[in-house]
Amino acid sequence: MNKGNLLALVLAAATVVLVAVGTVWPVKAAVFYAGGGKEGLLRPSSTPEEAVENLGTQIRLLAWEKAYESLSNKAEFTEPEFLHDLTGYALSLRTYATLDSFEVQPLHQSATDAEMRMKLRWSTVVGTFQDTRDLRVVKSGDHWAVDWPLVKEQHVPPQVIPVNYLRWDVIYRGAGDDWGSQDVEAPHVRIIDMHPVNRAEGVVVMGELLNEDVVPAFVSVRATLLAKNGSPLASEGSFDMISHTLLPKQVTPFVIRFPDVDLSQVGSIRMQPLSVLVSASADPVIEVQDQKFNPAPGASLTGQLSNQSGQVVNIAHVLSTFYDKNGQLVWVGGQYIDRALQPQTPVAFHIAIPEDLAKKITNQRTVVATYSSGSSL
Amino acid sequence: MIKRILVMSCALALPLAALADQPTVQVKPPELQGSRPLEKQTEAAVIRDYLQSWKSLRSAFDLNQPELLSPDFVGTAREKLAATIDQQAKLGIHTRYQDRTHDLQIVFYSPEGLSIQMIDNVGYDEQVLDHDKILATKRIETRYVVVLTPSDVRWSVRIFQAAAK
Amino acid sequence: MLIGLALAAVSMAPAQSVHMSLPPSVTAGSAFSIPTAGSGKAVLYIVGQGQAIRRDVQMGEATMFPAGALYNAGEYLAILVNGASTESAGFYVSPAPQPETLGFLAKPSRLPVGIRGGISGAVYVFDTYHNLITTPLPVSLELANASGTMQSHTITTRNGVAWTTMDSAAKEGPAKFVARIAGVSSTRVIDQVPGDPCGLTITARPNNGKVTVQTAPVHDCSGNPIPDGTIVTFTETYNDQQSTVDVPIKQGIARVDMPAYPGAKISVASGVVAGNEIRWGGGK
Repeated sequence: MNKGNLLALVLAAATVVLVAVGTVWPVKAAVFYAGGGKEGLLRPSSTPEEAVENLGTQIRLLAWEKAYESLSNKAEFTEPEFLHDLTGYALSLRTYATLDSFEVQPLHQSATDAEMRMKLRWSTVVGTFQDTRDLRVVKSGDHWAVDWPLVKEQHVPPQVIPVNYLRWDVIYRGAGDDWGSQDVEAPHVRIIDMHPVNRAEGVVVMGELLNEDVVPAFVSVRATLLAKNGSPLASEGSFDMISHTLLPKQVTPFVIRFPDVDLSQVGSIRMQPLSVLVSASADPVIEVQDQKFNPAPGASLTGQLSNQSGQVVNIAHVLSTFYDKNGQLVWVGGQYIDRALQPQTPVAFHIAIPEDLAKKITNQRTVVATYSSGSSL
Repeated sequence: MIKRILVMSCALALPLAALADQPTVQVKPPELQGSRPLEKQTEAAVIRDYLQSWKSLRSAFDLNQPELLSPDFVGTAREKLAATIDQQAKLGIHTRYQDRTHDLQIVFYSPEGLSIQMIDNVGYDEQVLDHDKILATKRIETRYVVVLTPSDVRWSVRIFQAAAK
Repeated sequence: MLIGLALAAVSMAPAQSVHMSLPPSVTAGSAFSIPTAGSGKAVLYIVGQGQAIRRDVQMGEATMFPAGALYNAGEYLAILVNGASTESAGFYVSPAPQPETLGFLAKPSRLPVGIRGGISGAVYVFDTYHNLITTPLPVSLELANASGTMQSHTITTRNGVAWTTMDSAAKEGPAKFVARIAGVSSTRVIDQVPGDPCGLTITARPNNGKVTVQTAPVHDCSGNPIPDGTIVTFTETYNDQQSTVDVPIKQGIARVDMPAYPGAKISVASGVVAGNEIRWGGGK
């Protein structure tokens, strides 16, 4: 037997041994990903922490029925209500979110009950969001069970909300090369403010874009950083940090990030606003109520969004522009709202502001980009 | 006999000349009618793209491949040239063009920026061949009226017409 | 040098031929003939960048080209192939004199009122076969507003093109921009739209525990109503807090219900234009 055959024999034998070991003593995570043995990830709820961790695991595994059954106060609401509390009552970012991880912090504990803080980190197509719940955990016999603080959806009383439904439709020139034929003019947009800042993560170019036309525009902004010798360093677009649909005379902030570039390398910045005429609707109107700037530490802008129209807004993206006392742009921040905006029902938002910039801020302006199922952004 | 030798010499020499010979290009300062100022960069780009279009034209007519006209020619110019190449191919002939001199002047830049008109006093050799047999060779001096329009990344010839000198 | 001499010699050869005679000029699309001398059969090619045509000819007869046979303007070579001998000569096909179509570039399709020289039109004049007519021709350019006022310029083409600029009217509305020449016309519609809001003012009144804020009818500085859908931003500042709302103008005004805080300041803006500011509970 030559060395090659011997090596092949050894590898085959090792493979057989490993398969046998994996089958007889499987790793719990591997069993889960193979589609079985989910209960193996759970432990007996012999402490408040274990009860909350088990609930978190069941939520992550989408084992709604088991999660609901484990609750101590399940008589107070139905399983669908529990499910809707977690995944949203209407189509929203929560609907397709998956629980990425969770964290449990004990707040208080006695022999018969405890208070625990559960931080749920959900993954969505636009990033992660955190849902924090303070849970009461009660001892029931030899185990602990969670008292779930259900957030019930506020129901708007049945009513008719009159809307003068205003929208623009566009008929474009057809295909073909009919040179000289007239086409509809692209909306005229203008960058009215631009401010680059150097951050630890790289250069951030912020600004504001105005639709100065009388028609709606689908907009985006591209920036190219030029070195001092004029050569391009990097080119990036505003991606989602902009309100893409801009109605006449509406202003949106924008943010363009250049990771791993230092402002000292930059000689100049070439800005390229892009606009396309689109069909759009002037509704819904979203009021941004009770905006409050909270200074450092934990600098933030908080407030509430109120959907003044009669249609459900499935996804809302809040964008705030912060200015100093001279009206100069200091920072642009944003937050996606994970729940749908029901008509006339305020929903809170919270936009974090870098601590070092917070002390310069004296004023802000907030806009809301919305998406409703069946319409465009 | 002498004529036949000369013709054969030309048949051999012309393809080589086409490779070796670059046209002599003279550019007169623009004499613009139109309210839109012409930037130097635009002028340079228009002339560069126009001269490139002659290269495409040469290849397309010699090889009878109309697709070589894109993207240098668009619209009417492309349709007319492509139709001629198709006609040539059906007749079993092909044409070799070799531009020798260009005397260029931009004369119009439309106010909305959608067209530039150029006059080109051009000298070129034209050789018509039936497969490999030369049917005729002629040196032509003429005046072209050319209109170029912007596309995504370049200027393309939209009107390409020899005018009476 | 040798190639040049060779070309010159070859080019001269057909000129000495007398087997075909070409017309001094040919108009695009018109009928013409090329008479030949001699006897026997031959092949006649007409080759240029615009067209390539082949005809079998009987030497000694004229070869007829009916109307519409040769229609693209430009330089052409006529090549007569008679057995082993060929002869060739060049001729020019000029555009037809009668305009048939216009390439009318009008910009922009939409602009604010009261812009001097804001509308431009460039006209390229073509014949039936889409040859550019380079002989000078008068082109009329007219901009007619909905109100009946009209601007009119007549310009003579140069190298086949004429252009002009016009002013947008003080009153909003579509305008017809017409290029006309010898019975041929081409029309574009220019949408003249209001400019920025001017003198933006708001008033407020209580409404079931809230405050209803609304603008006066919003106009530009020429008195044109700002179109519905234009965004007006209301900002209410109170106790270090703020509420903002972007509201589209509907039926000429923008209206919103905001929280009623005594002493709150309420301001209005549209785009970069700011309006008045009122203090709620303390009068204006």
